[in-house]
Amino acid sequence: MKVSSITAPANLHLEKRKSAAVLTAVKKYKLLYLMILPGLLYFIVFKYMPMGGLVIAFQDYQPFLGITGSDWVGFKHFIRLFTEPTFMMLLRNTLILFAMNIVLFFPLPIIVALMLNELRNRHLKNWIQTIVYIPHFMSWVIIVSITYVFLTVDGGVINELIASLGGKKISFLTSPEWLRTIYIGQIIWKELGWSTIIYLAAITVVDPQLYEAAEMDGAARLRKTWHVTLPAIRPVIITLLILKIGSTLDLGFEHMYLLLNSLNREVAEIFDTYIYTAGLKNGQLSFSTTVGLFKGVVGLILVMASNRLAKKMGEDGVY
Amino acid sequence: MTKRWVSLLASVTLLTTVLSGCGGDKETAKNAAVADESKPLEITWLNILHTASPPTDTIKKLLEEYTNTKLTFNWVPDASKEERITTALASGELADIVTLTMMTNSSVRSSLKSGLFWDVGPYIDDYDNLAKIAPEIRAAASIEGVLYGVPFQKNLARSGFIFRKDWLDKLGLPVPTTLDEVYEIARAFTEDDPDGNGIDDTTGFGDRSDLRYSSFKTLSSYFGTPNGWKVDDSGKFTPEFDTQEYMDTMNFSKKLYENGYLAQDFAVTAKTDQQQQFAQGKTGIYTGMVDISSLRTLAQDLQEGLELVPVNKISNGDGQYHIWSEGSGVGGLMAFPKSEVKTEAELKRLLQFVNDLIDEEAFMLMTGGIEGTHYEYDENGAYKVLNTELWQADVQPFSSSRPSEIAYTLKDANPEKQLANELIRENDKFAVLDPTVPLDSATNNEQGTELAKIITDATFKYIMGQANEADFKKAVQTWKDSGGTKITEEYEAAYKLTQK
Repeated sequence: MKVSSITAPANLHLEKRKSAAVLTAVKKYKLLYLMILPGLLYFIVFKYMPMGGLVIAFQDYQPFLGITGSDWVGFKHFIRLFTEPTFMMLLRNTLILFAMNIVLFFPLPIIVALMLNELRNRHLKNWIQTIVYIPHFMSWVIIVSITYVFLTVDGGVINELIASLGGKKISFLTSPEWLRTIYIGQIIWKELGWSTIIYLAAITVVDPQLYEAAEMDGAARLRKTWHVTLPAIRPVIITLLILKIGSTLDLGFEHMYLLLNSLNREVAEIFDTYIYTAGLKNGQLSFSTTVGLFKGVVGLILVMASNRLAKKMGEDGVY
Repeated sequence: MTKRWVSLLASVTLLTTVLSGCGGDKETAKNAAVADESKPLEITWLNILHTASPPTDTIKKLLEEYTNTKLTFNWVPDASKEERITTALASGELADIVTLTMMTNSSVRSSLKSGLFWDVGPYIDDYDNLAKIAPEIRAAASIEGVLYGVPFQKNLARSGFIFRKDWLDKLGLPVPTTLDEVYEIARAFTEDDPDGNGIDDTTGFGDRSDLRYSSFKTLSSYFGTPNGWKVDDSGKFTPEFDTQEYMDTMNFSKKLYENGYLAQDFAVTAKTDQQQQFAQGKTGIYTGMVDISSLRTLAQDLQEGLELVPVNKISNGDGQYHIWSEGSGVGGLMAFPKSEVKTEAELKRLLQFVNDLIDEEAFMLMTGGIEGTHYEYDENGAYKVLNTELWQADVQPFSSSRPSEIAYTLKDANPEKQLANELIRENDKFAVLDPTVPLDSATNNEQGTELAKIITDATFKYIMGQANEADFKKAVQTWKDSGGTKITEEYEAAYKLTQK
């Protein structure tokens, strides 16, 4: 008791000094703070203010009545979401695709970046980098269309090849079991090269002395990669992993919507496509807001959990 | 530094004032035009675009002249109309005239019912062309007895098949009149090398990822399946997919698919691809008689000796014909939002404008364009497009915005097209109407589209052999349990009210 009564005023004093210090700092660097202002305004106006619209998840929102005039219905839309038979399907599909994204796709750019780093011929390296970046700039419509042309049963290249080798044609596009493979394959094809950029940048700042020291100790290339490069870029990997987990339920509406059809819906329908078809196309704004809110909350929880986990393991985390 | 900020702030403020000032002026100008009938009325029109690009100004200028208006179109591509129209309704960013085509969409229906738009029922009889709108059409376009806009009048039923006549002739097959003959043609087109190139590269039926506007719904009509719902004498409603006829249609398609007489990837094929397949001579049967001219255009230079024949009368062997009707001849509404159209006087001028569009002169502008430039009449008085490309750029987008497509009958110089037009008119005689078109079901408005997916998916799976009859029955049960039963009850209740 005594101790706290003594420290309390001291704390208060410290608080005061702290806020005074903040003010002086703001004054001193006012130009720098001014430079933040547009960005800050952007986030407030376009990211925070629209969040107020989330209240329509608890209403039967009718556009012409507006937020003030629509009926409040409490958790009606949440109950509908969680009790609809599609909910478990959506959750399962989303989680499986997310897991595939993390396990199959996430390590690949790291491996490619390490491989590119080992290339000694600068020209060759630049050339390869340019080539692998290109798919990133293609839209999903183009990529899905190319895949369609390749995989269709009615005269697609792959199926013609299978047939000419005496095999039986495979209906890639309409079988649920191929959907996930195609989905992840397309992501790898499109984003692999582009995702290496940050890793390559991280690798360039690794202190060359570390490599020299490792060489002195007789480390070969593989050893150097394992014991020097990888540990050096570990914070970057962790950061990217946390960010990736944050977008768990954002699996890419456009991509999946293009792949979705009546025959693979059971594995292909995800929250993003469901919001569009059940909510927006049908004009059920409240219900789609509910689904979106649920998605957002799950994403937030996952980011916070993985950030905490990273900190526990002695890493920096994202915040 | 500070000075600059002040001046920037000042100019922004000034700009805002100027902009808002403009808005005010516009409003006054509009009101003046409403009052003075001789001045052109400024009209904004949120309209659906069924072509790739919006029309040029050529026809617009002539329409403005004819109707004494100044038109501003806000085109919404057909493919994105669902989200665009619902957002427009949600944000209130509407126009003087709003084209609403998705009458079963819950957002459209609830905004209509909430009184966002003018009830035009009491006014339309004052205009000569609008007064001619048949009572059945008015009934079909009304919601709970109120007409919230001028209905787009279309032919009752447009569906039918197109066959490759040259292939039929080559294989010595007759133009079909029964489903068995259709099946035989699909088989022969696949197996008997109709194009005579010695390679097994043809399929009978082309199709696409759509059950409604492609072959399935049309076939189901031929089997005698009700259109959407069946109503018996006691007022009991049965959904079409719960009937034996629907099952028969699925079995027919399944057999086609299994034997390879139906394009194997039809479930993921888009309409344009389906048309391409037909134009490239890969398939020989196409669904949709209205597309006959575009198929011919597409196949130009690709298929030598191409002959097409439209067919609408195919029976299940009993000599009875049926064909399903889209919206009972109503293609949607031209609605007038109260937020934009503030006075009765303005509404009356807008109705006059819509009425004028049905005049023969305006109708021809929107159908064929300018005589001598876009089209001409040949010596037999038959209508002929002179320059298809020019017509597509200037006129085509307007043709689907005509308030009435049935007001005048044109004789087409292309005999295939003329035959297709005649068959579409003939369809009126045995069109099967959907009894739920004028009825309202709250559950269907809210969940109907989602629930329909259960049935669509199950149907595709059944046809493609990924599901059996028990699976399909299970899907129907799921549909009922998830809200279908409620929809049925609501329709029955609404139907009872109309019968009294």
